Amino acid sequence: MQNSNSQNCYHCGLPIINGEVFWADILGEPRKMCCPGCQAVAEAIVSNGLEDYYRFRTEFADKGDELLTETLDTLKAYDHEEIQQEFVVDDGSQKQIQLTIEGISCAACGWLIEKQLLKTPGIKRIAVNVSARRATINWIDSELKLSEIIGQLESIGYHALPFQADEHEASYQKESKNYLKRIGLAGLMSMQVMMLAIGLYFGIFGSIDDATKEFLHWVSFLLTTPVVLYSGFTFYKSAFSSLRMGSVNMDFSVSIAIIGTFVASAWATISHTGEIYFESVCMFIFLLLISRFLEHRSRHQASLISANMFKYIPLTAMQIDDDNKQTSVLAKHLKKGQKIVVRPGETFPVDGVIINGNGNVDESMLTGESEKIRKSTGAHVYGGTINLSGSFEIEVENELKLSLVNKILRLQELALSDKPKAAVYADIASKYFIVIVLGITLISYVGWLAYQPERAFWVAISILVATCPCALSLATPTALTSAIAKLNQYGLLVKRANIIDVMPDVDTVIFDKTGTLTNGHFSVSDVELFNAADETFVYNLAAGLELYSKHPISHAFQSQTPCAVSQVVTVAGKGLQGTYQSQVVKIGNISILDNSDGLRPTEDDSRVYLQLGNQLIAAFSVKDVVKKDAKQLVDDLRSKQLVMLSGDSEINASLVADSLGIPNVYFRQTPIQKLTYIQNLQAKGHKVLMIGDGINDAPVLAAADVSIAVGDASDMAKRSADIILLNSKLSNVKFAVSMAIKVRTKIKQNMVWAIGYNALILPLAVAGYLSPWMAVIGMSLSSIIVVANSIRLLR
Amino acid sequence: MSIIYVLIPIAIVLVLLAIGIFFWAVKSNQFEDLERQGYNILFDDDVDKKVQVKKPKTNDK
Repeated sequence: MQNSNSQNCYHCGLPIINGEVFWADILGEPRKMCCPGCQAVAEAIVSNGLEDYYRFRTEFADKGDELLTETLDTLKAYDHEEIQQEFVVDDGSQKQIQLTIEGISCAACGWLIEKQLLKTPGIKRIAVNVSARRATINWIDSELKLSEIIGQLESIGYHALPFQADEHEASYQKESKNYLKRIGLAGLMSMQVMMLAIGLYFGIFGSIDDATKEFLHWVSFLLTTPVVLYSGFTFYKSAFSSLRMGSVNMDFSVSIAIIGTFVASAWATISHTGEIYFESVCMFIFLLLISRFLEHRSRHQASLISANMFKYIPLTAMQIDDDNKQTSVLAKHLKKGQKIVVRPGETFPVDGVIINGNGNVDESMLTGESEKIRKSTGAHVYGGTINLSGSFEIEVENELKLSLVNKILRLQELALSDKPKAAVYADIASKYFIVIVLGITLISYVGWLAYQPERAFWVAISILVATCPCALSLATPTALTSAIAKLNQYGLLVKRANIIDVMPDVDTVIFDKTGTLTNGHFSVSDVELFNAADETFVYNLAAGLELYSKHPISHAFQSQTPCAVSQVVTVAGKGLQGTYQSQVVKIGNISILDNSDGLRPTEDDSRVYLQLGNQLIAAFSVKDVVKKDAKQLVDDLRSKQLVMLSGDSEINASLVADSLGIPNVYFRQTPIQKLTYIQNLQAKGHKVLMIGDGINDAPVLAAADVSIAVGDASDMAKRSADIILLNSKLSNVKFAVSMAIKVRTKIKQNMVWAIGYNALILPLAVAGYLSPWMAVIGMSLSSIIVVANSIRLLR
Repeated sequence: MSIIYVLIPIAIVLVLLAIGIFFWAVKSNQFEDLERQGYNILFDDDVDKKVQVKKPKTNDK
């Protein structure tokens, strides 16, 4: 990938809009840059001799930070001892920290970061994990401050945040390593044992003298023992815990088969009678572990993406004491009644009441409502919401751990634990199956004991081996793994594999609005002109003013040729005011107008007004835009009952619902209302698919039978959802639904085959016609057929 | 045939060694990011040379 379009920034790939071009020499040629930020980053990279980054990268970089020096100032907060205690491991001589790094897009970024930081004196070790977007850094504190490390990253265009793995993730990590070790051991040992076994197989036709044969048996025994004891341990543990719960699961039959086969083979080795099947034990454990590991890893990847929540809860707060002195403190140490100050653009660290100041607050991450909310003295604000304008003095109402964000998190966890366990066919089938097999084995054993006592044990073992539920236990995981891999290719990340079992039964689909069906970005849908104003001019003037604003609505006003407006100031809670050709120009809600031209402020008037001089010249209707393929998605799912639950106002919600043809709309829904709605549906026996994105959707996503977090969903939503849509193609949701149906058929086919095979082989084994090596071949063959059938899902 | 009484134990020792190395590799997180390590071969050596030759200034700081 190199830059083919000369109108795009060479560094970040974004189009160069403002007409102003910046230049940087990269790889021996001057390259166009879109902004001073990108230019600075590119120059920093080149001057450090890291040009190769541009040669080998496969994705564009993030846009550079234009306000680099200001950003660097705010980083100083990370040098506080108290903050560092949270993330930094100090072993006396060195400190270690894990950083989440935003902006890593390909492997070249990892290399760039490592090279850049290794040049910095004081850094001892750095390891960048590209897929997890994280870096682990060891440094010497006396030589280098943490803020300087993060500053170094900023200078080459990456944003870093301290990171602390949450409990779930840490345990995933540990489990992953465990799996790898078990698989590695089983794999290496299996190779050895198979080698010896091939020798022994040929011994059947040729001749191996007895002493050699016995030696090979003992070596196989020796090599198999660690595999059975160590690699197979996961199965025994799971079998044991299911036994303690008073039921039998798949691992119970697997364990019996492994231990039974192993003990029988060991006995055969010691007593020189009967056959041995050490190689089958090894292969069985190896193959089964691989399928388990693949399933585990796809879940693990999802957890990596969703783990970082630090964006929502700021670390520090500016506390004001009685003498009006401001000190920076840790947000989680704030107590009820303390006073803090929150400046424009900052995130509220805790819940509180405004005691001084007014301005607009973006609460969309809590309520899902896309419009800003005006707050003044006496109003409540919530931790995690964003202060858009105005400076607030706040009295803390709730400590961080009691704040609304944390309450929602807890709600979600509760819903998660409530979640109905998907009935996995394999488990039910194998439960009956294993009970039947165990019963038959016991009866045959007793029968043979009366008839030919010396053969009884071997017949029993051969029944267990021949009917070993390998195929049965592979039936579900292989089909699921193939499906998950296929879904991954379509940008769908499946976190809980068992949802594929539930998906085909879904009869109700619930959509969130903002961010799910709509972009969550504003655009001008309609403009009304007053006093003979010219439409193009009006747009340019508005764009010129809004250039100075960071408010979400300001993105709606963009123009190639914005008018030059000077002396622009923010009028808190109202809009912007500036000077254009020595005339006062104002843009904002109705309250900013000097003379409202007879316009009466109404509750629902969300329009944006533009005034030039003394005259009102335009009123813009600003709307959220429906996503391109939202209509396609809704039409695809029309066979099910469709509902839209939105936190937004009635007008906005029903407009979107009507345009998409969603019959049932509920507006101004709080997270709790949404949750109750879904629980009511579930109580009536409906199976619910929820598609959402916001933090406010998190509990609902967790409660729904199947949930999908779409697009740029919040981390919290991703944590709760069963499936995460990584790209913005909504239409892929339909693919997930059809895939689920295919998987269910596949699993059924596998089951029928596995059970059919077992039913066929069982009478032969019971009658004693089955020699052990036949049982082994039959067992492997039935497994191979099942795996091959499942792999067809990948096509 | 008696040679196998020597060769097989040697094979076992080698396998144990391999398992040891594998466990060490897992323990030191070498399997965490497989994507990135593949790219390392594209970069390292020649770049280091270039930095030394072309950019003595940055080292002086």
